[in-house]
Amino acid sequence: MRGFIGFTKRNLLIYFKDFGAVVFSMLTSIIVFVLYMLFIKDSYIDAINETLKGLEKIVNTKDIDMFVNLLLLVGVLGSALITVPFNSLSTIVRDKEEKIDYDICATPLKRWQIVLSYFTASALSAFIVTSIILTVALLILSSKGNTYIATKNIFSAYGLLGIGSLSSTAFFMIVVLFFKSTSSSGSFFGILSAASGFIIGAYMPVSQFSEGIRTLCNIFPATHITMLFRNILLSGVLNHINKDIDGLDKGEFVKSMKGFLSFKASMFGEVISHSTTIIYIMSFSVVSIIVMIVMYSKTYKRS
Amino acid sequence: MEEKNGLKKEVKKEVIKVENLVKKYKEHLAVDDISFVVNEGELFAFLGENGAGKTTTINILCTILKKTDGSVFVCGKELGKEDDEIRKNIGIVFQNSVLDKKLTVKENLITRGYYYGLTKKEIEKRLEKIGKNLEIEKIWNMKYEKLSGGQRRRVDIIRALLHNPKILFLDEPTTGLDPKSRKLVWDYIEYLRKEKNMTIFLTTHYMEETKDADQVVILDKGKIICKGTPSALKSRYTSKRLVWYVKESTDAKNLIETITDNYVYDADHYNIFIKREDKKETDNNNNDNDMITEFVYKYRDLIKDYEVIKGSMDDVFLNLTGKELRS
Repeated sequence: MRGFIGFTKRNLLIYFKDFGAVVFSMLTSIIVFVLYMLFIKDSYIDAINETLKGLEKIVNTKDIDMFVNLLLLVGVLGSALITVPFNSLSTIVRDKEEKIDYDICATPLKRWQIVLSYFTASALSAFIVTSIILTVALLILSSKGNTYIATKNIFSAYGLLGIGSLSSTAFFMIVVLFFKSTSSSGSFFGILSAASGFIIGAYMPVSQFSEGIRTLCNIFPATHITMLFRNILLSGVLNHINKDIDGLDKGEFVKSMKGFLSFKASMFGEVISHSTTIIYIMSFSVVSIIVMIVMYSKTYKRS
Repeated sequence: MEEKNGLKKEVKKEVIKVENLVKKYKEHLAVDDISFVVNEGELFAFLGENGAGKTTTINILCTILKKTDGSVFVCGKELGKEDDEIRKNIGIVFQNSVLDKKLTVKENLITRGYYYGLTKKEIEKRLEKIGKNLEIEKIWNMKYEKLSGGQRRRVDIIRALLHNPKILFLDEPTTGLDPKSRKLVWDYIEYLRKEKNMTIFLTTHYMEETKDADQVVILDKGKIICKGTPSALKSRYTSKRLVWYVKESTDAKNLIETITDNYVYDADHYNIFIKREDKKETDNNNNDNDMITEFVYKYRDLIKDYEVIKGSMDDVFLNLTGKELRS
C-alpha cells in the first residue's frame, strides 16, 4: 500500500510541480474565459434580452449577469474536466519515452498498482483543479450577488466533478496508450483543446449544431456532464428569473433558455432524460475501465 | 570456510547464476546462450561494444525484460517465478537518468523509497547515511533538472541504494562524468564492496575501471568471448612490452631485430613488442617473461635502463574483438 501511495504521490507531484504544465492543461478553460470576457458574454446577454423583450424591466439585470457568469463557469469546468486528466496522464507517455517505466518495473510495485496509481493521480488532479476553480468561482460570484444555488446543488456539483474526473480519466487512460512520444501526445492535446470547447458547448450552444454533430458531441460523457452542470448551477437563477416574470410569458423564457443552452442531451433526434444521461455516463465509464484493464494487462508485462 | 588438504578455503556464495541465457527479438539474437556466475561481494565487469547485449542482459537480470530461454537465479531466487523477491534485493543505476526532472532531489528520493515499502523516517535515516558519502546535502532541495551530470549520477546511485540492496547493477555509471565526479563515484563503489560486501555488476566503456574487478566477461554480438580475472585476461590475450631507454642507433636496432621486428623508437626509448607466435590460449605471460628475461640478461652490458610493461585491458578488448571500446 505504501508503494501505491508513494507512486501516486509522485504522479501528483509531477503534475502540480510543473506550473507551466498546469496552466497549459487548462488552456481551453482559459480561452473560454477570455472569449467570454471579450465578446461571448455580451452576445449571450443580448440574446437573453432579445428573448425577454417587453419584460426587461421586470427582470433584474444582475440576475441576467449572474446567469451568464454561471454559464461561463460551466464552460470552464466542462473543458477542464477534459484537458486536465489528459495532460496529467501524459506522464505515462513520458515515463515510457524516457524509460522511467523500467525503473518503476524493477521495484516491488505490483503491475496493477502502477496502473491504478496513474489512474488515481490523474483523477485526483482533475478533481483538485476543477474543485479549486468551482470554489474560487462560487466565492467570487457570491460576492457579486445571489447565485441562487441551493446548498444541495453545491454538493451535487462537487460530486459531479468527482464523476467527471473518473469518467474522463478512464477514457483517456485508453487514449494515451496509443502515443509513443510526448510530442505526438502533445499534438493530440492541441487538437483536443480546440475541439473540447465546441464538444461541450462552451463556445456556442450544442443546440446550434446540426442533428448529426449534436449526436457526435453527445457521445462523449463530458458533454453530458457539462449539461448536468448547467442544470445544477443555472436552474436556481433561471427559476428566480421565472418567478420575477410571474407567468407573464407562460414560462416561455425558461423553456427557450433550456432548449437553447441544451439543458437536456439529444442523440439521433431523441431527447434524453436526466436519469438516462446518468446511466449513460456510468456505463461509458464502466466500459472504459474494463477496456483499460484489458489493455493495461498487456502493457506492463515483461516483453 | 571449507577445509581441503588441511588448508582453509573460503567458499563464496553465488548471488547471480546464469545458465544458457538466450534473448531473441523476432529474428535478432540479442543474447546468445551465455552462462556465468557472480559471487557475493564481487566486482563483476561486463564489457562489450554498444549493441553487444550488455544492457539487455542487465534488464533481464533485473526482471525488466523476459528471457527467451535459459535459467537465471538472483540471490537464490528464480527469475520468472520469484521476481518480487529479486526486485527487493537489487538496485540499478541505468545508463540514462530515470528520475523526475521537475522534482527536487528530496522529492525524487523519498517517493522512490516508498516503492520499496519504506516509511518516510526509514528513508530519511538511510539518506542521511548515504548522502554524506556522496556529498548531496547542498543539492537536497534543488530540482533534478538543475543538477550537473556528476551530481545527477550521484543522486542516481543513492536512489539505487535506498532499500539497501544486495546487488548493485551499474550500467555505464561514469560515462560523461568529469574526473572528480568519477573518482567520487568510484570511491563510494569501492566502499560498498569492501565495507558492505555489496556485489557490483558493472558495464563500462572505461577499461581502467575494470582493473580491480574480480571477474571480467567480454561480450561480442550477444556471445561471451572470454571471461576471467583482469590479470588472467591480460596474460592470455596481450603481450608484454619492453621499454629500453637508449639513444637511437643502428647497433641497438640490430640487437632488437635478433628477437623481433615489432618495435618503434619513441622520444628517448625503444618500445619492443614481444609476442610468441606460438602462444596458446592456455599460456600465461610467463612465456613473454621468459623471452624478455633471456634477452635482457643476454645483453645486460648494453641494456642498463629498461622497464617491462604489461598489456592493458584495452589491449585485451582490442585483441579479442578487433575494436576499441569507446562510446
